[in-house]
Amino acid sequence: MSRFQALTNAVLDAELEQLRARLGLEPNQKAELLREMAAIAGWVARQAEQGRRIEARRADGEVEPLAHPVLERLRTAAEQLVSARLALSDAEVQRLAAVLDGGFDPPPALRAALANLARADRRPPPLHWPPAA
Amino acid sequence: MALRLEPLNRSHRPLLADFQNPQASLVDYLQRYALRHAEKDLLARTYLALDTAMGTPRLAGYFSLATVSVERASVVRLPELDRLPRFPIPGILLARLAVDTRVRGQGLGRYLFEEALGLTLQLAQTGPVAFRLFVTDAIDAEAARFCQHFGLVPLGDDFPCRMVLDLRPLLPNRSST
Repeated sequence: MSRFQALTNAVLDAELEQLRARLGLEPNQKAELLREMAAIAGWVARQAEQGRRIEARRADGEVEPLAHPVLERLRTAAEQLVSARLALSDAEVQRLAAVLDGGFDPPPALRAALANLARADRRPPPLHWPPAA
Repeated sequence: MALRLEPLNRSHRPLLADFQNPQASLVDYLQRYALRHAEKDLLARTYLALDTAMGTPRLAGYFSLATVSVERASVVRLPELDRLPRFPIPGILLARLAVDTRVRGQGLGRYLFEEALGLTLQLAQTGPVAFRLFVTDAIDAEAARFCQHFGLVPLGDDFPCRMVLDLRPLLPNRSST
């Protein structure tokens, strides 16, 4: 904690102190404050990394997006990245488990796609372009 | 044949600028990143649908494929996973699929999806490596409906929505249980 305190200036100290009070932590709980902030910031960064926008909504329909250059960079990078690694949440894992463990009943469109792929005379659709303006 | 599929290379550069799609990220990826990912970084390969019916080729659509490793974000034990393959599970990611706005509604999206699935199944059957999943991230509700139509199952409720298809039942000589 001493290193953390040494790195902060007076303004930042004041902001942290305000935040500590808002979160209901005692003055001697700076480590807990740091942990809570890291958890919240980590969640925010994960959403941005997945290309999601974060918004605060009120019942009357007012929406305030969370805008920050760092998050925008993360979000844009996520949109462009061809991800080689997908980390699933537990909820996503449970749905995946149901997919892998369930019986297989391909929908008609998938059956048709497989049948099309097996046809030697398969042809792409002819395309009609609108006349150039 | 008026439409042909070609892996993206430098010779296609002049065609990319004309591509139109309401999803800016799909246009941006094609015009700024796809070639780099295919030739320099070797992260993904992009296939172009080129319409040559009028003589000069026109870019009608594209899709990009990459390998993917599906992993768990947490290490908490889930009983549902006891009978399943161990994570990470390898797969092929349909990273992008887009059709030019001017030729939408003519069956090209379906054709490109079939091509992407066909290339994936071919690799799964005869390639030197094994993998289990066909994965995509549906960019919006319309894309999710399109993928669901072909049997992909959404893993979440938000967008972009991760969707998967188990390839094992589609491969010959492999039981589905």
